Amino acid sequence: MKIRTTMLVAGLATGVGITAAQAQSCELKIGAMGPMSGGAAQWGLAMYSATELAAAEVNAQGGLKMGAKTCKVVVVPYDSKYTADAAAAGSNALAAQDIKLIVGPVGSPEATGIKPVAARNEQLAWNASYAKNALETKYPLMFHIAPGPSAWADAVIKKAKTVFPMKSVVLIAPNDQGGTDIASVDAEAYKANGVTATEEYYQRGTTNFAPIVTRVLALKPDVVDTASSPPGDAGVIVKQLRLAGFTGAIGRLGGPGTDEIVRVSGGLDVLQNFYWFETVATADPKVQEIDALYKKLLGKDPVGGTAMWADLPAARMTLKAVSMAGTDDAKAVAVALRAMPVEDPNMGKGYWTGKKAFGIAQELHFPFGIGIIKDGKNLGVERQEAHRD
Amino acid sequence: MEQFLQAGIIGVSLGAQYALLALGFTLIFGILGVVNFSHGGFYMLGGYVAFACVEHLGLPYPLAVLAAILVTAALGWVFELLLIERLVDDHLATLMLTLGLYLVMSTVMLQVFGPLAMDFRFPVTGALRAGPIYAPLENLIVLAICLMAILGLWLVLFRTDLGRGLRALADDRQVAMAQGLRPRILFPAAFALATGLAGLTGALVTPILSLSPGVADPVLATSFLTVILGGLGSLGGAALAAFIVGIVEAYTSVYFGGSIGALVLFVLVLLLLVFRPQGLLGREARGA
Repeated sequence: MKIRTTMLVAGLATGVGITAAQAQSCELKIGAMGPMSGGAAQWGLAMYSATELAAAEVNAQGGLKMGAKTCKVVVVPYDSKYTADAAAAGSNALAAQDIKLIVGPVGSPEATGIKPVAARNEQLAWNASYAKNALETKYPLMFHIAPGPSAWADAVIKKAKTVFPMKSVVLIAPNDQGGTDIASVDAEAYKANGVTATEEYYQRGTTNFAPIVTRVLALKPDVVDTASSPPGDAGVIVKQLRLAGFTGAIGRLGGPGTDEIVRVSGGLDVLQNFYWFETVATADPKVQEIDALYKKLLGKDPVGGTAMWADLPAARMTLKAVSMAGTDDAKAVAVALRAMPVEDPNMGKGYWTGKKAFGIAQELHFPFGIGIIKDGKNLGVERQEAHRD
Repeated sequence: MEQFLQAGIIGVSLGAQYALLALGFTLIFGILGVVNFSHGGFYMLGGYVAFACVEHLGLPYPLAVLAAILVTAALGWVFELLLIERLVDDHLATLMLTLGLYLVMSTVMLQVFGPLAMDFRFPVTGALRAGPIYAPLENLIVLAICLMAILGLWLVLFRTDLGRGLRALADDRQVAMAQGLRPRILFPAAFALATGLAGLTGALVTPILSLSPGVADPVLATSFLTVILGGLGSLGGAALAAFIVGIVEAYTSVYFGGSIGALVLFVLVLLLLVFRPQGLLGREARGA
């Protein structure tokens, strides 16, 4: 009897093993691209963490159903270094591994670099850049993770003005597309709100901002905005501004990275007065659950802060679209994506936007937030609802 | 006028930091004839060693700086002895070796410490102020240490047997060897001296600016630019050029903006290469 029971258990175990093996009879590789080293590393690692989490979710349920097969999802990261050439090279490197779906890249130079190459490789990609041409009708396989400053700068400035009265602002950003495309839109939004705006650009790779800080302070601005400067750069700018005696508020109408700015600048005591655009409504408990979910499924803490939360819906929707399309062919996945409602278990409901700004409605727009630090105290992030085009 | 004085203070401060980096870079080229592409890596490593000593071992910052010098010097010594020494006359091979070392160093730092900037702060903060003019205390301390290090290096090179030996090898290796000088001992010593200087600079400067695996790239570019301006292999030229670079960078950035500042520096080097290819104080060809 005992032997028979043992055999039965062994047989069942073997059966379960076979079922699990059959459940993941194939492997689907998807790319995660962004700067994973240098001053903007946080943004690229966020992209990677988000894609890892989306993959872990489907793998935990036995794999991703793709037609008659059920596949294990494997994430292949690529460090595109915030440059156009590295992103283009990344598209080719991932294509060489037969990867047709890419979550990323992040920055405007990267988006510019990857678009034509990914189109040639017939890859679907999601860029998170705030470039004025983040989407183009001639690249229908390119999707956009979140809207640029034209969609939210006005709301952030209006809120900031109620806390930090301002008449003039200087915007500091890198002198490439990753800086100029954002700072110029931010500047227009400040002007529309009655604030005199001056743009100051620096060479990407600058490590010591003391001369630029001296130049900025000569303009005697009420506020300095670090726009889309990488968080590492923005932290040094803040530190040197405060050391030079600047006591006004510091704004950030650009990419996420408040945690790193606080750390590099020397803490909340140094930062003092700060307002920022937050890509997601971080105060929402459902949104905050993402980190715990990541830790539960992957056994480690995610990297990337709130940027990871913002990137997650794109990764999840891509995998869902693969299931709906029954293939990882980029064109079929794009068709499935366009037909899907914008909805995420953590972010809630959003909209497909982009028609007005780019002529193509392939941009996710979820609720976002406005954060305020006043007198060294973090007052939290206020939720702002998403709106249709 | 305030802006002019402030730019001058920033320029001198930048110049001192660049001088420490450029002296090490040019020392290796002048004595060994090796263009050391891992120089920025030793700067980064110095920062991380100091950070680890303060954060994980609880050492006081001055001891952490000392540890950074010793670790980077020891690594430089071992690297020269085991790898560079075998191929020291093959310029392409040494270039690839040093580039490879840099990639290994940055990847190891990335794996160990992660890609984000560390919370590494200089122990002294504040500034001396005279109206709108200010001089950060941390920069003044770094400036003083840099000047002492430059003086120390000068004393080593011009007032000791080790320095005489190194200079003799730089002037004419064959004649120096015929007179009994031993490159197998002196070359690693020169490499260690140079990488120790880079480690010192990293330990001093990264807590003032930032510390992440990406900090090495701009450092290498600045060192290269400075030594080309000063004359490859010329110690005096490197020191002079470092202060010129610092001051030009400060004034052009303050008066014309960050983009123009970087452009002016490269135009300056370009013009110099056209009209004086050997650099400010360089010789027309290396003797070694």
